[in-house]
Amino acid sequence: MRTSVNRPPTPDGGDEPAKELSFQEIISIKLIESGEKERLMELLRERLIECGWKDDMKAQCRAFVKKKGRKNVTLDDLIHAITPRGRASVPDSVKAELLQRIQTFLVQASG
Amino acid sequence: MVHPAEDNLSHTQLSSNVFEDLLESIIVDVASECHRIARLGLERNLEEEEEELRLSALARAGVADSGNSSEANNKYVVDIFGQTHPPVANELFDCMNCGRSVAAGRFAPHLEKW
Repeated sequence: MRTSVNRPPTPDGGDEPAKELSFQEIISIKLIESGEKERLMELLRERLIECGWKDDMKAQCRAFVKKKGRKNVTLDDLIHAITPRGRASVPDSVKAELLQRIQTFLVQASG
Repeated sequence: MVHPAEDNLSHTQLSSNVFEDLLESIIVDVASECHRIARLGLERNLEEEEEELRLSALARAGVADSGNSSEANNKYVVDIFGQTHPPVANELFDCMNCGRSVAAGRFAPHLEKW
């Protein structure tokens, strides 16, 4: 077969070993591919609304906006303002529930 | 193959990492929502508060220079919303007893006649 284009041969990609994915990376991919990450996200969102966490966060935001002036607030500011409290104020029961589901998934995925 | 001992340790740390990751996404979403509402001025309460602050500053400035304390000089007094009212309310309406057209400020004396 005549080649129509004069081009150098494709470099051999088989020389390098396939990059090994860490366990964490594998799990991350499996979480997304199976749809479990989405389900976990929705579950967490629902629990956080039920327990009033989201309302608390919104109140924090409003207070911050009032202080800084609504035209001066950047998204970055807001995220930094509410993250510490956001992380600390998740109810233990909610965290436990999510962790348990995640652990179950990990066991299934690695078994 | 992952060693069982490593398994447990990494499982705990891993699930914790996954959880933190989910939580962070949700925090960003909430902040995003609030940021949008703030910048677009969609929160009516905040708008009303800003407006009231503006008007009260205005009224205070008004009181300072025109001196509303002496009502003899100033026929029209300015209230907290920056509005003036004539001494006799002049809005017309119909009396529900006799059907006549009456000025609001003269309604009480009108009723007394009957």
